[in-house]
Amino acid sequence: MILFSAKDVSKTYTNHKALDKVSIEVEKGSIFGLLGPNGAGKTTLIRIINQITAPDEGEIFFMGEKLKAEHVHSIGYLPEERGLYKKMKVGEQAIYLAELKGIKRADAKKRLEFWFEKFDILSWWNRKVEELSKGMQQKVQFVTTILHEPKLLIFDEPFSGFDPINTNLLKHEILELKKKGATIIFSTHNMESVEEICDSIALINKSRKILDGKVVDIKQEFKKNQFEVVIPSERDIRHYLTDGVKLINSINNPHTQVSTLEIEKGRNADLLSNILLNTDLISYREILPSMNEIFIETVSNE
Amino acid sequence: MNKIAIIIRREYLTRVKKKSFLVMTFLGPILIASLWIIPFFLAMNSETKSNILVVDETLIEKDGIKSSLYTEKFKNTSELNFEYGYDITKAQDLLDQGKYDAVLEIVKTNDMPPIKGFLFYSKNEPSLSAQGEIRSQLSNILKDHVLIYDYGMDEKDLEWFNNPKIGFYSKDIRSGKDSYKEIKTILGTISGFLIYMFIFLFGAQVMKSVSEEKTSRIVEVLVSSVKPIQLLMGKIVSIALVGLTQFFLWIVLSFVLIAGLQSFYPQTFTEAQKEDITINERVISVDKIQEASSSSSEVNQIVQGLFSIDYVLVISMFLFYFMAGYFLYASLFGAVGALMDVDTDAQQFTLPVTVPLILAIVCFPIVIQDPSGTVAFWLSIIPLTAPIIMMIRIPFGVPVWEIALSMSLMIVFIGFCMWMAAKIYRTGILMYGKNITYKEIWKWFKYKN
Repeated sequence: MILFSAKDVSKTYTNHKALDKVSIEVEKGSIFGLLGPNGAGKTTLIRIINQITAPDEGEIFFMGEKLKAEHVHSIGYLPEERGLYKKMKVGEQAIYLAELKGIKRADAKKRLEFWFEKFDILSWWNRKVEELSKGMQQKVQFVTTILHEPKLLIFDEPFSGFDPINTNLLKHEILELKKKGATIIFSTHNMESVEEICDSIALINKSRKILDGKVVDIKQEFKKNQFEVVIPSERDIRHYLTDGVKLINSINNPHTQVSTLEIEKGRNADLLSNILLNTDLISYREILPSMNEIFIETVSNE
Repeated sequence: MNKIAIIIRREYLTRVKKKSFLVMTFLGPILIASLWIIPFFLAMNSETKSNILVVDETLIEKDGIKSSLYTEKFKNTSELNFEYGYDITKAQDLLDQGKYDAVLEIVKTNDMPPIKGFLFYSKNEPSLSAQGEIRSQLSNILKDHVLIYDYGMDEKDLEWFNNPKIGFYSKDIRSGKDSYKEIKTILGTISGFLIYMFIFLFGAQVMKSVSEEKTSRIVEVLVSSVKPIQLLMGKIVSIALVGLTQFFLWIVLSFVLIAGLQSFYPQTFTEAQKEDITINERVISVDKIQEASSSSSEVNQIVQGLFSIDYVLVISMFLFYFMAGYFLYASLFGAVGALMDVDTDAQQFTLPVTVPLILAIVCFPIVIQDPSGTVAFWLSIIPLTAPIIMMIRIPFGVPVWEIALSMSLMIVFIGFCMWMAAKIYRTGILMYGKNITYKEIWKWFKYKN
């Protein structure tokens, strides 16, 4: 089921086109990666989803309806540029932000106590935000983003500014939220985290969408029919190559020889059976491109 | 709860709880009260009188009795104490011994009247007021002398001559009613100035608050929950409420403070107030010819003047222009706040907003001089200056059509400014690290909501 979709969305600012007929579809309960280099138009799209700005053209659908004002209560947004009222007390501030998302004060307080305890920041309730460390502030802001249990969560570079321990904590929470049924749009250029947590992605470059789909499918699409073959070091892979197979490189380790092969013609099975007939095989696996490689390749081919 | 209400609640509470608010709330009345009180205490403490020895060498002969023209004629004042002597050489010794602060020598002369040759010796330069006092007493004595001896006036005539009771009687030509211009001037000045102060103090707070939200970047989270216009409106309304709270507390506390001091030093104040009233009488000498001699009618006159004002009109107009002026400028200041960034030059945007306000204050005296003149008319029609200028004019009576025109232009213009401010605000708050130009702002108006 599609929770959110944008159809042919365009937006022009003073001097440039920020989005050019971009369409995306986000499956309910999935984590959707919105990728692209700086200035590609990700933030503009996110702002349109949050109804901070309106598109010049195109349509947005949320939970089967056209996007409307009340939908802000079902969306949680963690912007890339974090910010809280510096002089305001942490607890009061979090309650205020929750109220603006349509939660009653008493209810907000109860929920906040639960989350603050979980994140170990309850003792900061009456402190001013400016007294908190950056990491603490990030935690507070994360809690305020998810407190109203939104159906759609938008995280813009959520891991920036977190140390490795807190990054893991956050990753864990994001996956928990997904388990509970939340849908997450995740904007980043940290490709490692994309591989780890995203189900599907859209790649935006120079205000146009240039690639989208499930992460698994994209990897398949970008694979180059390359295989990594590991055999004992006293053997040499060059003797077992079938027709149409090219050796990309080969490294000799003390006990093993690790080679990368590319099948230009012929079948994978022929190569494999030929190797198996002639030598011991330690491992044989297909090399799939990393999201990072796909990102760089696609963007630089533009 | 309505979102604007939530915003107003937070904005109001955080401001009222601020230390600076508390400090200003208590400091304000002290400042106001001290404006009232300090002059009296200064007057009380400055009772160090200067003793002046008058050495009068002039001689007049009348009916065979010889006397000096100036001797025993000086009146002692709060500042000056006069004594008389005849020997200038002794006088200099007395001055050296510190028995007197100054010596006024009136040199013997053959001229008549003896108006040449006044010499003043003192260790310190006499104060300007002492100099003036001595000069005017000298000329009064001489004048009295001339009036008595040359014109044969008696004491009573002399008193009337020195303090002629002339009634000033001004009427509104059309209605035939008394116009009480002075009271109206005071009323217009106070209300116009209050509006100016309020706009400047609290309008600038709107600007500051908007730019703080922008630079701390919390605004992006906020506008993902509420519409920017709701945020701006909530802010403007709450700051108005904060301002009104502060004004209200100032009035209450000033009253308490003055009342408290009054019960503490009752004598000082009754005397001070008496003095105050006489000063007022001198300023507001609106007196009818037929009642010119009675002084109680002067007080009566003030009371009548106060009653002659159409308070329903003045108060309702004050409330209208007060709120309208604030909302107009607050939305403009809000827009300016949205244009500011950490490193942008805010001056280029604040100036166009503050210039009309300053213009209104600069034209204040012109309008008071001639409340129905051309300058007054146009400035009270133009919405940017109308809240201040129209309020100065209102107590003097303004034709209904002018008020109607000014008010309706005001409403239309507020609508326009809010629309414009909303457009600028919405785009400006999310515009970081860019130098915004007027040309760019112009393009923002074409953006879709």
